[in-house]
Amino acid sequence: MKLKIQLPDFLRMGILPIVLIALMTIAFVVAMVRYAFGIGAISDLSYSFPWGFWISFDLFTGVVISSGGFLMAGSVYILGIKEFKPLLRPSILTAFLGYIMVAIALLVDLGQPLRIWYMMIHWNHTSVLLEIGICVMSYLTVLAIEFAPVVFEGLKWEKTAHFIHKFIMPFVILGVVLSTLHQSSLGSLLLIQPTKLHPLWWTPILPILFFVSAISVGLSMIILESSLSSHYFQRGLETHLLEKLAKAIPFALGVYATFKFGDIIIAGEFDALFSSGVMSLLFWAEILISIIAPIVWFSNIKNRTSPNGLLIGAVITLLGLIFNRFNVSWFAVQHPDPMFYVPTFMSNVDYLPTIPEVAVSIGIFSAGILAFGLLAKYFPVFDDEAHAVHAGD
Amino acid sequence: MALKHNAYLFDATRCIDCRACMISCSVENNIEMDKTRIWVAGIGIKGEYPDLQRGTMVYHCMHCLHPDCMSACPVGAYTQAEDGPVTYNPDLCIGCRYCMNACPFGVPHFDYEKGLAEGAFIDKCTFCPQRIYNGQKPACVGTCPTDALEYGERDELIKRAYERIAAHPDKYIDHVYGEFENGGTSYLILSHIPFTELGLPQLPETPVNEVSEKVMEMTIPFALGWGAVLSGVAAGVAMRNKKKQAAAEKDIVPIGEAEASK
Repeated sequence: MKLKIQLPDFLRMGILPIVLIALMTIAFVVAMVRYAFGIGAISDLSYSFPWGFWISFDLFTGVVISSGGFLMAGSVYILGIKEFKPLLRPSILTAFLGYIMVAIALLVDLGQPLRIWYMMIHWNHTSVLLEIGICVMSYLTVLAIEFAPVVFEGLKWEKTAHFIHKFIMPFVILGVVLSTLHQSSLGSLLLIQPTKLHPLWWTPILPILFFVSAISVGLSMIILESSLSSHYFQRGLETHLLEKLAKAIPFALGVYATFKFGDIIIAGEFDALFSSGVMSLLFWAEILISIIAPIVWFSNIKNRTSPNGLLIGAVITLLGLIFNRFNVSWFAVQHPDPMFYVPTFMSNVDYLPTIPEVAVSIGIFSAGILAFGLLAKYFPVFDDEAHAVHAGD
Repeated sequence: MALKHNAYLFDATRCIDCRACMISCSVENNIEMDKTRIWVAGIGIKGEYPDLQRGTMVYHCMHCLHPDCMSACPVGAYTQAEDGPVTYNPDLCIGCRYCMNACPFGVPHFDYEKGLAEGAFIDKCTFCPQRIYNGQKPACVGTCPTDALEYGERDELIKRAYERIAAHPDKYIDHVYGEFENGGTSYLILSHIPFTELGLPQLPETPVNEVSEKVMEMTIPFALGWGAVLSGVAAGVAMRNKKKQAAAEKDIVPIGEAEASK
């Protein structure tokens, strides 16, 4: 007898979702071990290095790659640049999922994850982390509201979708304000470490640097996700729109570079640019990938107009600025160890993220990609038809 | 009259590395020996024979006058008593470990090996409130056999420290660590070998939380101002679009096409 197996439609999927689900499962198991036996059981975090890979990747990277949401919402609704509308929904979805991923990752990283809501009632107004916590919570709400019309349209609840859409403006403004605060406050988070963060990175204008660089990251992220989803869903690529975003990146990075170097020169740390050994090397590597390479790449019109050129440029920019976040929150940070204090930078080489630690982050990231794929498949995220419904406002 | 501000004075020249303070801390606060709130680090022998020097450093919370842990804690789990002690309340702690990042001395410690059921908390020196408010000295001070650790009013201890330097200028470095470092601390240190060799960070006289607290003060006004600017821009753009639309209608172009041509 022949066995006939016919998979139902919803179970038929490519290799990618299966890989993603496997990665998520690994992360889930690791997280369970962490909840049972403590953070030390799965990570290399220590007294002398309390924040590591999770903070650099999940929090710093997770937040900055979500900045496309407020950029597009601000451009379309506040500045009235309606032509960017096809890019609006995917970038809001990216931001929404990005922030959910940040929140989930924090539930693993926090010592008392069940008390995360304490931030809503116990306020210490001098704490930058409080600002970040409140911004994450409020902005998640705002993003849920901004994304709700897509869900309702998908469910064919046109009236509800239209109703939310009518009152979207205050939420868009609130979202942009919260994002500005939040992107910059991740920089402020490190202001309290003037003696731990290397002077090439520590500056009172860290919040400004973080906000300005987040703009380039957001633009690159929109290009990246449009490119990838056009490939994966076999839909057209809005190259003419993406070209405009790509054109803005060199300007945004130019402003960023001006602030960064202006500050170093004004602070009189010019010598440190070349005399800090490994730190100088890290700094220049960062500058090369995060500023020089993207500016050169995107200044060439050929790269801005070809799908591959756009994708490569976006990836370079993202890698460079994520490298910056890693430098600021990890590589250039040196904590004193009360038992063995070596007053030189890079004495933290004893911290190396463990495989389970990285697995948690990868699993959460996979969940984000899977959620993006599913939502984009079943809801009108890329559906240009649906946009026409609310095109009038 | 203001409460007197209490402090410790540690004299590195007097310490004999007996580590009795660690044991008394462990007993008094009922914590395991490898997690005591006080650590003793032997710096080893320095110099060339016959000018040999050995150093020992006793560390615990510096009880800063402007505590960075307290400034950093998002939920306000840290409090500072008027008479000096900076204490931590585990009932509020969410385990974010930002205090560990903020503290320039690396004092707060965290229970990395405890899961959800036991609860992972921060631990640090409390200044033994159960003892000092009952007329006793903190456990580490009470047990020190050579008076390397002393306890008393901060101003008085600083005076005593300078008197000791004046009496033996050949022996001591002419500096009381903690008098001004990080805005002043309640753990004052006298030493015969450079403070950096004892493992103490070089800190400015302003507390490290100064810039971040200033930025936090500007946050709300900035948010309100930025919100107002954005609202203004949004209203302006909407008005301009309406005018355009009205003008387009005058030219008898159907609305749909005007929209599409944009």
